[in-house]
Amino acid sequence: MHPKERRLGATRRDFLLRSGGAALALSGAGSFLAACSNSTTTGGGGGTSGGNPNANNPLGLPLARPNVPVTLPLYENPIASGMKPETGGDFTIFNYPDYIDPAVMKAFGKKYGVTVKVTPFDDINSGITKLASGTVQPDVTEMTPDNIARVVAAKLVKPLNLEYIPNLQKNVWPSLVDPFYDKGSHYSVPYTVYSTGILYRTDYVKEDIPNLTPNPWDIFWHAQKYNGKTALLSEVRETIGMALLHKGDTDLNTEDPNKVNQAVKDLQELYNICNIKVGDLQYSTVAERKAYLNQAWSGDAISGYLFYADKESKQALRFWNPGQGNGPIQNDMWCVCSTTKKPVLAHLWLNWILDNTQGYNNFLNYNGYQPPLTEVDPGEMVKKGILPESLSNTVLTAPDLGPTSLQYMTLTTQGQQLWQNGYSQFLSGA
Amino acid sequence: MSQAVATGSTEAREFSTWRRLRGWITNPWGKPRFLVVVTWTYIVWSIAPVLVAIQFSFNNSRSLTVWHGFTTKWYTSTAPDINSVFHDPSLRGALQQSMKLAFLDVVIATPIGVMLALGLARWRGRGSGGANFLMLFPLVTPEIVMGVSLLLLFSHLLTLVPFGTPAQVLGHVTFSISYVVVIVRGRLFSIGRSYEEAAADLGASPAVALYRVLFPLLLPAIVASAAIVFAISIDDFVISQWLSNGANTTTVPMTIYNATRATPQPSTDGIATVIMVITLAAVVAGVLVFRFFTRGEGGRGSAIDDVAGFGI
Amino acid sequence: MYPRWLWPAFALPGVVWLLILFVLPFYAVVGVAFGSVDPILLTAVPAWNPAQWNFGWVTQVLTELEPGGIYWDVFVRTVEYVMLSLAGCVLIGYPVAYYISRHASRTKSLLLILLVLPFWISYLMRMLAWINLLSPGGYAERFLSATHINDLLFHLGLVSDPNNYLGGESFTVIVALIYGYIPYFILPLYASLDRIDRSHLEAARDLGASPWRAFLHVTLPLSRTGLLGGAVLIVLPMFGDYYTPNIVSGAPTTSMIGNQIDLYFHGGPQPTIGAAITILLSLFLVLLMGYYMWTIHRASRDLPA
Repeated sequence: MHPKERRLGATRRDFLLRSGGAALALSGAGSFLAACSNSTTTGGGGGTSGGNPNANNPLGLPLARPNVPVTLPLYENPIASGMKPETGGDFTIFNYPDYIDPAVMKAFGKKYGVTVKVTPFDDINSGITKLASGTVQPDVTEMTPDNIARVVAAKLVKPLNLEYIPNLQKNVWPSLVDPFYDKGSHYSVPYTVYSTGILYRTDYVKEDIPNLTPNPWDIFWHAQKYNGKTALLSEVRETIGMALLHKGDTDLNTEDPNKVNQAVKDLQELYNICNIKVGDLQYSTVAERKAYLNQAWSGDAISGYLFYADKESKQALRFWNPGQGNGPIQNDMWCVCSTTKKPVLAHLWLNWILDNTQGYNNFLNYNGYQPPLTEVDPGEMVKKGILPESLSNTVLTAPDLGPTSLQYMTLTTQGQQLWQNGYSQFLSGA
Repeated sequence: MSQAVATGSTEAREFSTWRRLRGWITNPWGKPRFLVVVTWTYIVWSIAPVLVAIQFSFNNSRSLTVWHGFTTKWYTSTAPDINSVFHDPSLRGALQQSMKLAFLDVVIATPIGVMLALGLARWRGRGSGGANFLMLFPLVTPEIVMGVSLLLLFSHLLTLVPFGTPAQVLGHVTFSISYVVVIVRGRLFSIGRSYEEAAADLGASPAVALYRVLFPLLLPAIVASAAIVFAISIDDFVISQWLSNGANTTTVPMTIYNATRATPQPSTDGIATVIMVITLAAVVAGVLVFRFFTRGEGGRGSAIDDVAGFGI
Repeated sequence: MYPRWLWPAFALPGVVWLLILFVLPFYAVVGVAFGSVDPILLTAVPAWNPAQWNFGWVTQVLTELEPGGIYWDVFVRTVEYVMLSLAGCVLIGYPVAYYISRHASRTKSLLLILLVLPFWISYLMRMLAWINLLSPGGYAERFLSATHINDLLFHLGLVSDPNNYLGGESFTVIVALIYGYIPYFILPLYASLDRIDRSHLEAARDLGASPWRAFLHVTLPLSRTGLLGGAVLIVLPMFGDYYTPNIVSGAPTTSMIGNQIDLYFHGGPQPTIGAAITILLSLFLVLLMGYYMWTIHRASRDLPA
């Protein structure tokens, strides 16, 4: 799930980062699988037999993975080049609440003579449902990589003409200019990137987490001292994925029931070890001493530091960032909606948000989610005193994303059920 | 016994100390010390935490456990790093949404509920038992069941109803109707039919009897039930959350819930206090109107008794 | 004097409203539970026609409701919490209701007001108040550690970490449930105790019963409807509670069946399972409610009018 999907009445202080949540599934023991096969979905090409990550999704394409790039087919031609932007009237952005700096929106509106509005959705799934049902008709929309194939299949987004978006080539990290889930950036440009790591306080947690053997995730299985002060993200993918990583398994999109079941069993050990909690609120709980050790997103560390920590906490907060291949790094994107009446302007918005100044301001002045722009350099932020040296690793850089990076991506329907049922087992506390 | 009379000794000597202590405690005619202690302990346990929460909404620091002095900044401050109740847009928005839903709920649920109460109390035909049974169910249905069912209803059947305020209002009215019925019905029983029959004997038509006799007699219960509907609508959390549509349709209980799961601030206590004051004001107003209109009726005129006898 | 159609006509709007917005939604849940899921949009596709019902989801849930399954453990835990909370409410609430109804003559109005007050205070505010008090450094936490009650609780095995009540303790959840629901229990109980005629008790005393026996054989049976009413009023909604454990605990080891339903309805490929669990939970509660109505029916036959 996307971090913004923490169903909270978010003020702009809530910097939420979550990985795309639609594609989560869990398989349980044999009885589950038997029951699952009786209850697969109607029609459509979905839900082939589990365990094959390259099985077809509804688009008839293989499921995209970092090592299985996918080119989304163009169902129509992009708009012609060289047209003038439309002006006047409203320009509607469809996205999570409080996710774009109003100053960035206002500047765009002023430049092109439109009134920029935001229509919010609480989570990407309900957003897609609204787009599909026609309840909303925005110009541009937020999207996540594990849903891009779905919305292209349902023709909810338009193909892009990249000549309107020169900032993509100019400013964006190379690995995201031509991402594996959308080769050639036919439909999307990236917006923010975030990783999942461990947020902790050095005034209570004395272990040297980044150098723990066999890997830092092991701290949770030795957290007896932090009983009741430890939490994982309340995310189907993130929890089970973390247990997989703990065992050294980097296939975060596995649909193997044995692996997933074992991961759930590992997670269940945590009940007795540290009475593990689940929640998505670590940006405030760790910063305010309600928790000492948490699985967290990179933006949580930044927002916790900036907005929730008192002086002592500011010094004590640390974040372990797994880096490429050791932990999941997710991103989200912008797309142009097929319902737009201002297609040229929509392309220009995508270009606008990738501008270095706009992206930087949006990040630091407002939402705390980092844009994958090469000019955003963690060293800069430490020099300017915005982030302390101790948290400089919360800012990702281009090398963090690459062919071996791990990302939660779309699963087959049965895979999704597998993961969700496993998480349900974990949540039952039994 | 004759021995006791002869010797003049009192009965006390025949009972052990334990027996006397027990008698002292459990004597139904004497002062029930044990019960007094239990009751007042309960009352204090029940109310003191809320008083402490109110106190800390005025705390001059972010702490909710250590008192640092009195201030109203969590209510009124416009400083950018303080989410004050009256100036932070999301807190204000939540207050407005709660008020809006409560108002709409009262306006819609009270008439429907009053009519339903009249109908159920006086309907003698077939179907009245079933209707009565139907009316009782929302009172005991778990809110998550109602939330899920309304969510699915508006997603798949009544898709014309958008989520957010319309769906939330419909949900609130659905569980409020039963409360109105129970309260108004109690009042109907205590009024009886005699007044309307007297009016009919004096030549009033049914319409006039309804309008000029029954309705004024019912008015106190109507006002009381409106106050109660207002209170339960403001307090509602589950239905509002399941039928909401983003940040604009967040209510105060949802805000408190979210803040409580993270780390509550004094402004959370503050907004809870504000909502509590508004609710109490509405209830007190309702009770006062009730007592005003039922003055001189004698008997069990206590509003509390009427409310307490929830028809169960 | 009123036309026969008048009262049914008055009842009509309410009945229609409840039919459309209370009964019909259950059919929506049924339709989803026996339906399927759209593979592209991951939304539920309800099956309205019973002939097309897909029983797979409900079967799956029932399988997991067998001992050893996922939902079985959660359900058992929920039943434990509810029963313990009910017991707590009875133990605390009965003496209070008894005292106010039978003894408190001078202070009765005041006590009634104080009793009813929690109704008008938002449930969430009352939970928030407890979070404040039980946090490390809060008044309750300091009180409990100063008086060593928390050591006592730890030794009795009620609390696994006496310094962190909010760290996922069943004890805290049960106390929170009691605190939250007890006003709804006390009031009907009070109403029924209040209606008991003093003369019954006096008769019992005159016939030689000790106060305790008078209570046991006269008051208690006469208050049975109130007890049952209060119990129903809190037990049924408590089964669906998911927010109380989330607020005071947050750990999977204290989750209730409502948390499972909540999980399936917020993203993911199986809203059908959430609907199936909801249906089964509702059936269970209907059975409980049926038992209550049957008991009331029998009780009202046994007692004098």
